[in-house]
Amino acid sequence: MFLKDGQIGRAYVVEVLHLPFELERRLEALGMTHGATVSVLNRKGKGILIIKLRGSRFALGYNITRNIEVKEAGDERE
Amino acid sequence: MKGNEITLGFIGNPNCGKTTLFNAYTGANLKVANWPGVTVEKVEGAIQAHGYHIHLVDLPGTYSLTSYTMEETVARQFILSGDVDVIINVADASSLERSLYLTLQLLELGKPVVLALNMMDIVMKRGMELDLHRLPEMLGIPVIPVSARQRRGLDVLLHAAVHHVGHTKPDRIVHDHKWTSKHQHDHHAEYAMVYSDAIEDKIDQIIPALQAKYPGLTNYRWYALKLLERDREITENYPVDLPDVLDRSYESDIINQKYDFIGEVIGEVLLHKEKQDMLTERADRVLTSNVWGIPVFLAIMAVIFFLTFTVGDWIKGGFEEAIDWISGGAAAGLAALHAGDMMTSLVVDGIIGGVGTIVTFLPNILILFLCLALLEDSGYMARVAYVMEGIMSRLGLSGKAFIPMLLGFGCTVPAIMASRALENVRDRYKVMLVTPFMSCNARLTIYILFSEMFFGDEAMIAAYSMYLIGIVVAIAVSWIIHELDRKKSVNYLMIELPEYKLPDARTVSIYVWEKVKDYLDKAGTTIFVATLLIWGLLNFGSAGYSPDMSESFGADIGKFLTPVFAPIGLGFWQIAVALIAGISAKEVVVSSCAVLFGVVNASSPEGMAAFAASLEAIGFGPFNAFCLMLFCLLYIPCAAALATIRKESGSWAWMGFTACFQLAVAWAVTFCVYQIGRLFFL
Repeated sequence: MFLKDGQIGRAYVVEVLHLPFELERRLEALGMTHGATVSVLNRKGKGILIIKLRGSRFALGYNITRNIEVKEAGDERE
Repeated sequence: MKGNEITLGFIGNPNCGKTTLFNAYTGANLKVANWPGVTVEKVEGAIQAHGYHIHLVDLPGTYSLTSYTMEETVARQFILSGDVDVIINVADASSLERSLYLTLQLLELGKPVVLALNMMDIVMKRGMELDLHRLPEMLGIPVIPVSARQRRGLDVLLHAAVHHVGHTKPDRIVHDHKWTSKHQHDHHAEYAMVYSDAIEDKIDQIIPALQAKYPGLTNYRWYALKLLERDREITENYPVDLPDVLDRSYESDIINQKYDFIGEVIGEVLLHKEKQDMLTERADRVLTSNVWGIPVFLAIMAVIFFLTFTVGDWIKGGFEEAIDWISGGAAAGLAALHAGDMMTSLVVDGIIGGVGTIVTFLPNILILFLCLALLEDSGYMARVAYVMEGIMSRLGLSGKAFIPMLLGFGCTVPAIMASRALENVRDRYKVMLVTPFMSCNARLTIYILFSEMFFGDEAMIAAYSMYLIGIVVAIAVSWIIHELDRKKSVNYLMIELPEYKLPDARTVSIYVWEKVKDYLDKAGTTIFVATLLIWGLLNFGSAGYSPDMSESFGADIGKFLTPVFAPIGLGFWQIAVALIAGISAKEVVVSSCAVLFGVVNASSPEGMAAFAASLEAIGFGPFNAFCLMLFCLLYIPCAAALATIRKESGSWAWMGFTACFQLAVAWAVTFCVYQIGRLFFL
């Protein structure tokens, strides 16, 4: 699944980023790395989110969230 | 370091309090706000302490030392330049996990680093605890708790920095990780951050190649890491021929491993991590709500303008009395000195009538900036990017682009400069084009005067409508550009949302005082000169000095331009002159009108009555006043804004295009409103 589908109050684990190179590096510098946990605090529209990542809140647009592959935190089968 | 001179570079994540710390040391009044991207270029100051002359450099906030954004490039170039003796890494202690990523990168530079843990007051308030014994052991650098806002720990930090000049090796590092650690430090234990064996082996192979090819370098480990990351600058300038070792970019691996280590550090040093700031959670439920987000934003703006009008006008009464007193005193004094009509007209009608009228609006301007300062320092500004993302993305812009637009309600000049925080160059140009449509404080003087003169009880609604029209025009223009733009760019909103906090009295007072000073400076310089010029143009004609303005050079210019302004309901030579003069600064429209109609203290009730009577006598009614306000809202902002657009775009052509474009939009919109409106109102 992609982060754009994330639901408020749920936590997700980052799998892969499919974004332009520089943006990917910037997100990684903020801690959006493989295996990082992301909590969804708010969402609107098709997937504009407020997330909590490594203790800080970020607003992410749909063009970013639709390109971040995640899995539900605690789901070990995937 | 030269003699007893040292340079300290303040670097940290956006919004970590670097500038507050810098201001606390230097007594400077640099702008601070609770949203990321306020500092966009490095700023310097100097102090004397501990027997040294210390240069302090405040660098733009950055999350990393790569060179992907303008702030990163500025910070990195300075840190690597060799001009800095000690790096003061300012970290937000209440958000340590994110802050330490930059710290680890700084450690690898091999320069003296002191970690300033800022916002310790917030950490304590929340009930979190930091192990300040273990943290320096794990990082190998001094860690000093400070609170820039409360001015605590400042001397200790400076003392540590002075003592660490020349300390290029880490302090004592104690690796005592659990067996589960991914960083066992079985080799290279002298470094705080050690990578996996695979990466360390590569570093060990790259360093000898670098030493052989570039014998003059220091800190080969950092260059090796940058080569593994495929850093553009280092790969181009220091290539080595190791295709098997440098077989791909290891940047992601290096970032991941740094965050693994940060996880271990946080696990050891941060206690009661679970204690969250509930205030922010609760406030965000309303302020960023899907249903209430935009209505709340509009309501906040409405409250700001309500306060600007009501409280501002209440204080303004005192200013008006003072201007009346000065004007009366000046007229009496000049009469006693037997000054001629020309001198009396210059001082009373020109200088006091023009500049004095502008000064009476100071309370309104003060309240507006006070409200904007509270908004910026509270942490709400960044939320606006999220609230507006849905609308802005349909215009091909990121929600972040709304921040400069919102700042435009205060002043267009810093708003255009704030567009630097946008990553996309095309976005920046677009924002520079539409930001001047947002109604700045200078235009407020025009709205207050004309709406109170012509709209009575509805004055506030008439003025507020200008702000809304400004937003609508900016959005409509952005949408048209987006639709016409063939190279549609994809926008990526990514902005940190700081925690809400009670605005800091010192920060707010610095912000407001700077704006008030700017306003008074402008009244004493640009507006003063423009008013004198207008007075000259209106009192001299082909026959020399004449009190009959209709025979003046100014009248000739105005009459020549009247046909251009007639279709938009402003076909009066006096108004044409005021609008041309208003290009220097928008307040000059008001001061020029005061001179043109010979009204001293135009904003007082008596002045307004006299002014309105003069305007009505030439056929200028409420609908013309609305058209004037509308045209002033949309046409060329001011000379200073144009100069800023030129500076930021680096292009005279873009500045010229912006000026012509805004003039054309102002004329077209006012034309439509006047031509349609006259069917109903005239």
